[in-house]
Amino acid sequence: MTVAQPALGASKRPSRLRKLWDTLSVVLNSRIGTVGLAIVVFWVVIALLSLFWTPYPPNSSLFVQNLPPNLTNVLGTDHLGRDLASRLMQGTQVILLKTRLPGDTHVAIPGGVALWGVFGSLFLGAILGLNAGYRGGWWDQVIMQVLDALIAFPVIVLYLVIIAALGQGDLVVIFAITITGAPGVARLVRSLALDIKTRDYIRAAETRGESLAYIMYREILPNARGPLLVDAMLRVGYAIFAIGTLGFLGLGLPPPDPDWGNMVNEARRNIFLNQWAVIFPSLAIASLVVGLNLFADGLREEITRYQK
Amino acid sequence: MARFIIRSILSTIITMLLVSFALFFLLEVGSGDVTVKILGIESTPEQRASYRAQLGLDAPPLQRYFDWLIGNDFRAEKLVGYPLVSIKNQQTKEEEWWANVDGQLTRWQMQKGQLLALRRQPDGSRTKHMVSGGWQTAKNGQEFFWGVDTDNRAVKWVRGAGETVWVRTKAGFRKEGDGPRQYIPLRKGLLRGDAGQSLQTGRPVAVTLIPRVRNTLVLAGVAFLFIMPLALFFGIMAGINEGKPLDRVISILGLGATATPEFVSGIFLILIFGIWLRVLPAVALFTSADAIFSNPKLLALPVMTLALVELGYVSRMTRASMVEVMSAPYIRTAIIKGMPYRRVVFKHALRNALMAPITVIMLHVNWLVGGVVVVEAIFGYPGLGKYIYDSAIFGDPNAVEAAAMLTVTIAISTRLVGDLAYTFLNPRIRYS
Repeated sequence: MTVAQPALGASKRPSRLRKLWDTLSVVLNSRIGTVGLAIVVFWVVIALLSLFWTPYPPNSSLFVQNLPPNLTNVLGTDHLGRDLASRLMQGTQVILLKTRLPGDTHVAIPGGVALWGVFGSLFLGAILGLNAGYRGGWWDQVIMQVLDALIAFPVIVLYLVIIAALGQGDLVVIFAITITGAPGVARLVRSLALDIKTRDYIRAAETRGESLAYIMYREILPNARGPLLVDAMLRVGYAIFAIGTLGFLGLGLPPPDPDWGNMVNEARRNIFLNQWAVIFPSLAIASLVVGLNLFADGLREEITRYQK
Repeated sequence: MARFIIRSILSTIITMLLVSFALFFLLEVGSGDVTVKILGIESTPEQRASYRAQLGLDAPPLQRYFDWLIGNDFRAEKLVGYPLVSIKNQQTKEEEWWANVDGQLTRWQMQKGQLLALRRQPDGSRTKHMVSGGWQTAKNGQEFFWGVDTDNRAVKWVRGAGETVWVRTKAGFRKEGDGPRQYIPLRKGLLRGDAGQSLQTGRPVAVTLIPRVRNTLVLAGVAFLFIMPLALFFGIMAGINEGKPLDRVISILGLGATATPEFVSGIFLILIFGIWLRVLPAVALFTSADAIFSNPKLLALPVMTLALVELGYVSRMTRASMVEVMSAPYIRTAIIKGMPYRRVVFKHALRNALMAPITVIMLHVNWLVGGVVVVEAIFGYPGLGKYIYDSAIFGDPNAVEAAAMLTVTIAISTRLVGDLAYTFLNPRIRYS
C-alpha cells in the first residue's frame, strides 16, 4: 500500500501524495522500519502479481493431495490437491486489493477488506473524536459514553456477535473492523484534538469566524496526521490479524477466493498427514502482521524523534 | 475521592445498559428467523409461526428486551392472578414455574377441551384435578383462562376456541387442538440471574454456562500465573539493558509473539509438542467434567498458547515503562551519588515502573478474553469462549447475549478496579 500509493495516483494529485510520501519515507532512516517496509512491499508485489499470474489456477484440484513442497508445486498441495503457492498468492487479494460485493456477480471494488476496514474506522473514529474533543461538554460526555460501551466488548466477541447477527461476507467483515476499530481511533483523535485546539492557529481561525466543520476537518485533522498514520499502520496489522482469526474460526471471508485463515483451518484437519499446508499460510499471516508492526514501530520512532 | 468512585460506578452502569441494549437489538435485527434453525428448513410456515408464538417471539421487541433484562413474571402474575414461584426440579436441576394457588403449587393443562389442574405434592409428584371455575369473561363474551402450563409459560386459553398448535416433543413435531391463544415464556431476567433458555439445546443457558466459566477461569488463571512473573522479568531485563543485544533479542521475540495470531502459535505448539515430540495432548479432550483437575496435562498447550501472546505484550509494556523510569532524573541522581546499581533498580526504579504495567494488565482483560475464544476453539476446550463461538455459529440469541454480557461484565469490572487502583497508586491523576 505504502509504496503503491504514490505511484498509483501520482498523476492525479502529486502535491498531497508527495507530502504523504515525505511523511512515510522517514521510516527508511530506521532499520526496523525498513525491514517492516520490505516485508509489506513483498506482499503487495505478490498481490499485484497474482492479479495477472499465478503458477496454477488456485481453485482447481490438479495434483495429488497433500504433497510436500517439490519442483512442480513449490509449496506443496493442500487436502484437495490444489497448488498451495497459487492459493497463498490469490489470498492476498481479498486482504489488500479487492472487496467483493454481495450477490452472485463477480463485482469487486478496489482496496482490500483490511484497508477498507481501517479506512472505515479512521473515518468514523475521526468524526467522533473531533466532535468529542473540539466541542467538549455534552458532545464529549455522550460520545465517550457510547465509545466506552463499544470498547467494553472483547474484540473477538464483538466480531462473533456481528457475524452471528449479519451473516458472512466481505462487507460484514469491513463493518466489523470499522466498529471495533473506531473507538480506539476516536480516543486518539480526541486527545490530539484537545491538545491542538489550544494552539494559536485554531484561535486565529475562530477569530476569523470559520465554521465548526472547517476548524475540525481542515485545521485540526491535518495536524493530527502523524500519530494517526502510525495508528493506521498498526490497525491494518490488527485487521489482517482479525481476518485471519475469523477465517480460522470459519467465519471470515467467504469462498471462492482463498482466505489464509481458512486455509489454516482446513489444513489443520490433516495436520498428521501434511504439516506444510498449515505452516505456509500461518507464516504468511504472521509475516505480514509482523511486517506492518515493524513498519509502524519504525515510523513512530522516527516521527517522535523528529518531534523531539 | 468518594465523588470519583461514585462517578466511575455510575458511568459503568450506564455503559452496561448501553451494551445490553446494543447487543439485544443487534441480534434482534440481524439474526432472522431462529425457528428455521431449530425446526429445520422442511418445516412449514404454520409450524414456524406456531413455534414463534410459543417462544414468545411475537411480542414487540422493546417488551422482549425488558423481559430479557428484568423478567416478566410480575407481568404474568397480574394476568394469572396468583403469585408465581420458581422452584428447582431435583431431577433436572432446572427451575420450574408454578402458580401458588392458596398455598398449593399448581399448573394447568388442557386436555380434550377440559382444563386440568396439576397440583404439586411435597414429594415432587403431581396430582390431576378437574377445574371448572376460574374462567374470566372478556368484553366480547369470550371466556378465557390465564394459567401456567407445563412448559414454564403463562398461557391464555379461550373456551371453545382452542388454537391449533404445533407442539415440539422429543419424538418430533405434533399437531394439537385446544391450544392456548397467547404465550408468555416465564423468565426472571438477566439482572436476576436468569439468562433464559438456549434455543439450541432447549436447556437453561446458565446450567451449561456455569461449568464452562469455571473451566475458562482455570485456564486464564493458570496462564496468568505463568505470564506475570515471566513477563515482568523479561520486561525489566530488557528495560535496564536498553539498546544492548539482550534488549534487542527480547524486544524482537516479544514483538514476534504478539504479532503472531493465537491460532498460528497454537498450531505450531501442537505440531511441536503434540505431533513431533508426542509429549503433550494435542486436544483438550474432556472425558469427564473434572478432567482438568484429574489430568492437568490437558491444560499445558492451551496455557502455553495463551501465555505466548500475552507474554509478548506485557513484557513490551514493562520494558517501555522501565526505560522511561530509568531515564528519570531521580534515578540519575541515585546512580551519581554512588548507590549500588542493583539497589537503584530494585529500590527506586521498580516500584514506579511496575505501576503502569499492572494497571494496563487490568485494562487488558478484554484481550485475554479474545485470546481465550480462539485458544478454546483450537483445542476444543469446553469453556466460555468455545460457548460463545458455538452459539454464535448456530445463531442462538439467548446464549450469545448471556455469554457476551458475561465477558463484558468481566472486562468492565476489571477496568473499573484498574481505574480505581490507579488513582490510589498515583494520587496525581485523581483530580485531573
